[in-house]
Amino acid sequence: MEVNEKKLLNMAIFAGEIMLKNGAETYRVEDTIFRLCRSRNVSEVEVFVTPTGIFASINPGVENNENIITYVKRIKSRAIDLNKVSEVNDFSRRFVEAEISIDEAMSQLKKIDLLPHYPLELQALFGGVASGFFALLFGANSMEFIAALVTSIVVTLSVHFLIKMEFNLFITNIAGGAMSALIAILLSLVLPFTEVDKVVTGAIMVMVPGVAMTNAVRDSIAGDLVSGLARGAEALLIAVSIAFGVGFILRAWMFIKGVGL
Amino acid sequence: MLLYLKHFIFAFIATIGFAFLFNTPKSALLKSALAGAFGWLLFIASDTKTGSVVVSTFLASLLIGLIGEVYAITDKKPITVFIIPGIIPLVPGFKLYYTMISILEGDLLKASSFGSEALMITIAISGALTVVLSINSFRKRIMAKRI
Repeated sequence: MEVNEKKLLNMAIFAGEIMLKNGAETYRVEDTIFRLCRSRNVSEVEVFVTPTGIFASINPGVENNENIITYVKRIKSRAIDLNKVSEVNDFSRRFVEAEISIDEAMSQLKKIDLLPHYPLELQALFGGVASGFFALLFGANSMEFIAALVTSIVVTLSVHFLIKMEFNLFITNIAGGAMSALIAILLSLVLPFTEVDKVVTGAIMVMVPGVAMTNAVRDSIAGDLVSGLARGAEALLIAVSIAFGVGFILRAWMFIKGVGL
Repeated sequence: MLLYLKHFIFAFIATIGFAFLFNTPKSALLKSALAGAFGWLLFIASDTKTGSVVVSTFLASLLIGLIGEVYAITDKKPITVFIIPGIIPLVPGFKLYYTMISILEGDLLKASSFGSEALMITIAISGALTVVLSINSFRKRIMAKRI
């Protein structure tokens, strides 16, 4: 079958981009692009993936190196959307096993890219539930559970809004941290038996970079050292900005209370 | 016993919450929550027995990885879908946050203790997951050779 290699590479990179943007591991993205290209008898494929970009070259000719095609794709934002990762994974399996034309493949990928998230209200609700039950796991009482739930719902909604407005990682997380501390303090004034600390730790659970940190070490162990360092830096930056936001509000509150009394 | 049941239910619901945030496919929601809940149960049980957070985290992540691997094979979905929500109760996001808070407060002693603990726990989780994935790719290579 005659294959247009440029289109093939373009399609494979797009598949990789969707995966990388939605939280797939580095090795999985490299593997997918590699398989997609090799399935159409391209003799040489080299892929280099980092969290901020994809670099891929293919060599369609067998003997000469005159027709090497290279494609660089910059990745600007990363989130976690496991549904899309799973869908692209299914797609690549279908593409490798069957004779799907590249145009058809591209339109399938575009459909996957536009797949909807769970509705925002549901996400906020479940973010709140997750935070509440985490607070319980770490020994909170029922009042603190309610406070963490409410705080986290508001924080999830506002962080979502900030991301949509395309603010960067640092600003988003500072605002999220500050917001959770502020609401936790306000709720602790209303609800009896609540410790601000426990509510805050529950509420920021939806923001803390646990997955980024784990993926950083996993990438490093797998030998993808550049990706590992990049993800590690991202995790550290998120943690710093949350701590900054929370710390600022808590300090300000202590100051106000000190003066007020 | 009642305590374990309570922990199991709390971890189950918390993991489902995160599965929603991560937009896990509908068919995988309960399965990833099950992995997370069993992992947390093993963590609690092992933590009370051994008293070592790092060892307990390693064992729990190993269990989550194995459950995820089984579901990945039966459902033909990438293992990521099942383990990312599942490991959330174990990941030391808080420890990292406390590390940063301590640094901002100028308490470097506390920061280094929280920080090193967070690092060790992260390495335990990642190591366990890597062990599971390596065994799986070894299994795939052997299967490929037979065919």
